[in-house]
Amino acid sequence: MTTNSGELPKGFNRHGSNDYIAYFSTEEREVLLNLVEQIIELLSERSDNHSDDPLAEMVGITSHDSPPEDDVLLRLLPNAYADQVDASEFRRYTELTLRTKKSAHAMSMRIDLKSSTDGCVEIDHEGANAWLGAMNDIRLALGVRLKVQENSQEELEILAPDDPMRGVYAVYSWLGWLQESLIQALMDDAL
Amino acid sequence: MVKLDEEVDAKVDEAIKELFNSEKPWITIVWDDPVNLMSYVTYVLIELFSFSREKAHELMMQIHTEGKAVVSTGSREEMEHDVARLHEYGLWATLQRGDQVI
Repeated sequence: MTTNSGELPKGFNRHGSNDYIAYFSTEEREVLLNLVEQIIELLSERSDNHSDDPLAEMVGITSHDSPPEDDVLLRLLPNAYADQVDASEFRRYTELTLRTKKSAHAMSMRIDLKSSTDGCVEIDHEGANAWLGAMNDIRLALGVRLKVQENSQEELEILAPDDPMRGVYAVYSWLGWLQESLIQALMDDAL
Repeated sequence: MVKLDEEVDAKVDEAIKELFNSEKPWITIVWDDPVNLMSYVTYVLIELFSFSREKAHELMMQIHTEGKAVVSTGSREEMEHDVARLHEYGLWATLQRGDQVI
């Protein structure tokens, strides 16, 4: 786990009794949309090649039970058991549901961003949980690509200016800060 | 009379033991992850398990410092449900029998 100490004045704030509000620049909105759309695409990748049985599909059973080969997808859809046989069995019956739920979080975030004309996003508690889940999935995906470890923050902060991972790390850090601002707004709420 | 009481006691003990073994032998473990924010882990534990802030914070710290923590105990089916919900929010969770070495 990690902490996020980079405090900036913006991000999410509580608005009224039940809502949370944030203002994004055009660039920030584009970055968020781009990332959330990548997550939606990533989560749908396996959905077209796993079931020829419409009944099985209807009840959320998939014909594949192997863990995803892609590291990012494996982190988003991890094994539930250390035991491979149990893990496969569990995956067969639950992976589709998990993908659907994660996609729903991401799509909720996407709709909020798409429907915002002036960069203002206003969400309720349920919307906030969807945003948190989706932002976390994006950070998990970026974290795998950045090979984030428990103490890799220092290394990542001194990446060379021409290192392509530098920009990725900047977005990863910013998302962590944005997520933190929403968590703080939600936690203040419960006081 | 004494003998009968003893027999009843033994039977009750056996029944309790059986109940305990059959209904509470599984645990859900959350593992430390370098990406998830500490505040996020705490928040998710509160949202999903209705823990108090103190309890959620304590479990989060245990995950952070010891690498893992048992967050729920119950039947296998209940633990599969908990793991699925934790996965939905990106926490790294697994389930196993409570008497297995973690």
